[in-house]
Amino acid sequence: MSDSGDSDVYWVPYKERPEWSDITPVPEDDGITPVVVIAHSEKFKDVYDYFRAVLQKNEKSERALHLTKDAVELNPANYTVWQYRRDLLKELDTDLRSELYYVECVIKQSPKNYQVWHHRRVLVEWLQDPSQELDLTGDTLISDPKNYHAWQHRQWAIKTFGLFDNELEFVDNLISEDVRNNSAWNQRYFVMNNHLGWSDLNVQKEICYTLEKIRFIKNNESAWNYLRGVLLHDKRGLSGNAVVLSFCEDLFKNRCHSPYLLAFIIDICDEVIKKGEASLMYGPERALELCKALADKYDKIRTKYWNYMANKFKALIDLKATY
Amino acid sequence: MNNEENNCLAHRQHVKYFMRFLNVLPSSLSSHDTTRVTIAYFSVVGLDVLGSITSMTIDMQSRIIEWIYRLQVEPNKETGDMTACGFQGSSTINMPFDSEKSQYRCGHLAMTYTGLCVLLTLGDDLSRVNRKALVEGVKALQREEGNFSATLSGCESDMRFVYCAACISYILNDWSGFDVKRATDYIINSIGYDYGIAQCPELESHGGTTFCALATLSLTNQLDKLTIEQIEGLKRWLLFRQIDGFQGRPNKPVDTCYSFWVGASLKILDALHLSNFESNKSYVYETQDCVVGGFSKWPDTCTDPMHTYLGLAGLSLIGENGLLEIVPTLNITKKAHDHMKYLHQMWETES
Ligand SMILES: [Zn+2]
Repeated sequence: MSDSGDSDVYWVPYKERPEWSDITPVPEDDGITPVVVIAHSEKFKDVYDYFRAVLQKNEKSERALHLTKDAVELNPANYTVWQYRRDLLKELDTDLRSELYYVECVIKQSPKNYQVWHHRRVLVEWLQDPSQELDLTGDTLISDPKNYHAWQHRQWAIKTFGLFDNELEFVDNLISEDVRNNSAWNQRYFVMNNHLGWSDLNVQKEICYTLEKIRFIKNNESAWNYLRGVLLHDKRGLSGNAVVLSFCEDLFKNRCHSPYLLAFIIDICDEVIKKGEASLMYGPERALELCKALADKYDKIRTKYWNYMANKFKALIDLKATY
Repeated sequence: MNNEENNCLAHRQHVKYFMRFLNVLPSSLSSHDTTRVTIAYFSVVGLDVLGSITSMTIDMQSRIIEWIYRLQVEPNKETGDMTACGFQGSSTINMPFDSEKSQYRCGHLAMTYTGLCVLLTLGDDLSRVNRKALVEGVKALQREEGNFSATLSGCESDMRFVYCAACISYILNDWSGFDVKRATDYIINSIGYDYGIAQCPELESHGGTTFCALATLSLTNQLDKLTIEQIEGLKRWLLFRQIDGFQGRPNKPVDTCYSFWVGASLKILDALHLSNFESNKSYVYETQDCVVGGFSKWPDTCTDPMHTYLGLAGLSLIGENGLLEIVPTLNITKKAHDHMKYLHQMWETES
């Protein structure tokens, strides 16, 4: 947020405004040893000198409300300004609908600011009206599909007010647009977990959906992670779902060497070993071989990690050999 | 940029860079007006990591200490109430209030944490810190779910402030303001289906919040509350963040600061040695400005004090020459941490 002041041709400082002549500005007192000093513009100093004055007096007036707007514009991260503004809104019995509109405009200018989203949330709580929240966050996510604040606000509104109905469709659109959008995959899990539930049928449906996306782009961590998430709700675990197993083995046979695929098969082996099931297909030998392939060839940035994993399986094999 | 040429630390330039930020900042940084203490933190601890605290004159060091102490919010004079106690981030709202309106003047957990770190790094003995009041200030901010709000007056609450509250309690060696059980539950509830940890339950896993969560578990001695699957899952999730440098979430661009956030998380789990130091280091150096100092999040973009500090901290974690060792949980140098331990002993014998 810059306050160069270039565009403020018509700006009249508070200290020159007759209607503010009754107020004595309160300059910032940074002591005799200030460090990390920000060379604020004259406008910034003027606005905040008057802000401090009304805050100190605890003046609850329309002009104070207006002043907070100027203060917000110069620094939307000042949480005290927002808090004071909320106190004024209450005291003055201001129309909260127009405030909703106002904060929407500020959010559009500063969509990565914590304070503006907090203000929005408090207003929605006061009004008990979440009817615009899906649109607002939806708009924000169009221009920045991974904006953490927007997702947080959206999840809060959906959960608090039960707005799940069209969320899967929303998520679906985002995933279709960018299958690597991890935030959208996370939101899919959120909807399933809180709304649609993990019935056997839904688990199977989600598996099919995810495999379809992986078939499309194999090297996509987000989809592979989601698949694991879904399988947390399959009683048979990673290794018990025939559709998943044959999908993975097909990819493998077709020489797909995505680290996510190979890691997935390693984890299947790990699970089978832990269950104590004897399996030719999913034993420590195969896991070891895959770890080595990842370490030496297919995921070299993580060579040390895959060697670390390999050693675990090697220890198991050695243990077996001693019996 | 020539990589080989740039693969060494522009030590002198970084010292100058931090010294500039300790003095005067341009008006374009007005949006940092309420968080100036954090800029002091990045600069002072950054100089310490560079082994260059003495680049600051003694006078400068004592000016910083005095300035930080001025931002300490004392108990309410009339009522003795301590819920607003802590450090403010600047003097913007640092003026006297009548007792009943004084809620606008309150500490902020991130400023209290970073303010205390600056004091420790400069060798201050914390004798002017009102420890009891600060602990009460922390206590007032913990919520039912176990997380913490940043301040008393209208702020969000999330994993960042759980971490700040844990750091403050650790530095003051007093956990009476921090309900460990509830905070631990909050952290465990914020572990995602991919084993990363989010800002709050059910949100997307994130490298920064995973650090906050793991550092808190470490500072509170609760790492053993994680299952083997969770620990191994976290190691995997964190190591998969490495592309050359580290990203903060799957399928996001790499960013210098995650060399610290993810690197420190791995260090806490004793798994940093499983990452690729060379690639990590090369990426961080690609974001170094060799001429005027500083690091940025991406190559050839604007530097800032946060990425400069975190870039150096990330390099320190992997043992880069010319940098002091840091303690990943508290994010200060081991030297400053030793000083803190010494103070704890002093307090012990006093009581
Ligand atoms: Zn960053």
